[in-house]
Amino acid sequence: MKQRLLILAAVILVFIGTVVGKAVLYAADPVASVTLNAANAQPRQVEDLTEKAIVREYGAAWQNLSRALKENNASLLDQSFVGAAHQTFRKQIEEQKAAGIATNYVDKGHKLDVLFYSPEGSALQFRDTATLEVQLLENGKVIHTEQLQQQYVGLMTVYGDRWRVRILQPVK
Amino acid sequence: MRALILFLVFTLTVAAQDLSLPGDLTAGSDLTLKSPGDGTLYLTGPGTAVKRELKSGEDVTIAGEHLRHSGMYFAVVKQGSSVRSHKFFVAPAAAADISFLARPSRVPVSAPDAIRGTAFVFDQYANLVTVPAPVKFELSVQGGGQFSQTVTTRDGVAWVKASSGRTQGAAQFVASTGTASVRRVVQQTAAEPCNLRMRVQAQGKDLVVETDPIRDCSGNPVPDGTIVTFIQSGRNGRSTVDARVKRGVAKATLPSVPGSTLSVASGVVLGNEIRWGGGL
Repeated sequence: MKQRLLILAAVILVFIGTVVGKAVLYAADPVASVTLNAANAQPRQVEDLTEKAIVREYGAAWQNLSRALKENNASLLDQSFVGAAHQTFRKQIEEQKAAGIATNYVDKGHKLDVLFYSPEGSALQFRDTATLEVQLLENGKVIHTEQLQQQYVGLMTVYGDRWRVRILQPVK
Repeated sequence: MRALILFLVFTLTVAAQDLSLPGDLTAGSDLTLKSPGDGTLYLTGPGTAVKRELKSGEDVTIAGEHLRHSGMYFAVVKQGSSVRSHKFFVAPAAAADISFLARPSRVPVSAPDAIRGTAFVFDQYANLVTVPAPVKFELSVQGGGQFSQTVTTRDGVAWVKASSGRTQGAAQFVASTGTASVRRVVQQTAAEPCNLRMRVQAQGKDLVVETDPIRDCSGNPVPDGTIVTFIQSGRNGRSTVDARVKRGVAKATLPSVPGSTLSVASGVVLGNEIRWGGGL
């Protein structure tokens, strides 16, 4: 009886892990390292739980973005992106499909500095220093590779039950 | 000498194969490139992926619609087995739109730093305008005071805290930059009652207690429906009656108990006390 209960519990845990895991993250690749510095956040301090949520969701967002751009599959954006960021990447995927090309981001890590955390706690803006390898693919073959350290200004907002990326804009 | 000539020929050949790219562009601008020879051009950037065949001596024009999103773009030219890449940056256009968050939607009057406004400044293509831009915040209510402050954006965001005014009503909260302007309404409501006073009158075997018109400390009538509690304490114990404010006053009927003490309260505010009749 006890053994049956243990097996049942294990099955439930595997099921929850599979379903919930898929809801947040499609990609199978390991999440790139994301570090966050909230010391300069204004006008509100970032709570520990929010820091953890941002790190987790932003890492997942990059995984979903990389896979969406590599596979030219815009539906992979839905889990992590809303608003302007979603539209921008969806358009990029449409154009990639039309041109018969794809982009692969080999993500090597992100350092986030929080710039703004809204007083009511529903929007968080940051600057990300991302280390990336960008590959241009045609017919599945890499035709060009670029090593980059790119800065982004990002805005994440609470949408539904979690934080999602609303703006992800490369800056100089 | 021969080596120098070979070096110059090589350098000129390589230079001839380069794309003549401008420096930074502004979002939405067309881009015309001189073709470096026969080959293929791949242009990728935020929201963009373009592939064009290149012909020697012909210009290539990339329409502004492909360059609407601010960010770093890559132009990759493939000529046979040779692949060369070039980077250029597309900067946001001028500020043309504001996304304005105003909180809360209802606020009591005379509350310090209770109203917050956050403005995100965008260009016409929904790029966040990251260069500093002034945003003017104005908060006003008809017949009341006005708050105005100009804040310069940092990375596209400007925010402000403001105290609510002394007069209740729909306050207009406006954020503007250039020709873009967005209005939100913050309903300023009366604060806690101030100087709560009641009077009592015998009516048969009962007492009718009624407050004076109830106002907050700025003179705004508290909204109908506000709960006022009448308390009667005497030798038989203590009883309370909750009454709602109706047309500015609250009213209740209590049993006439000689020697009892009547008091009134609303929220954290206590009013006057009345001792009824003789007794102890």
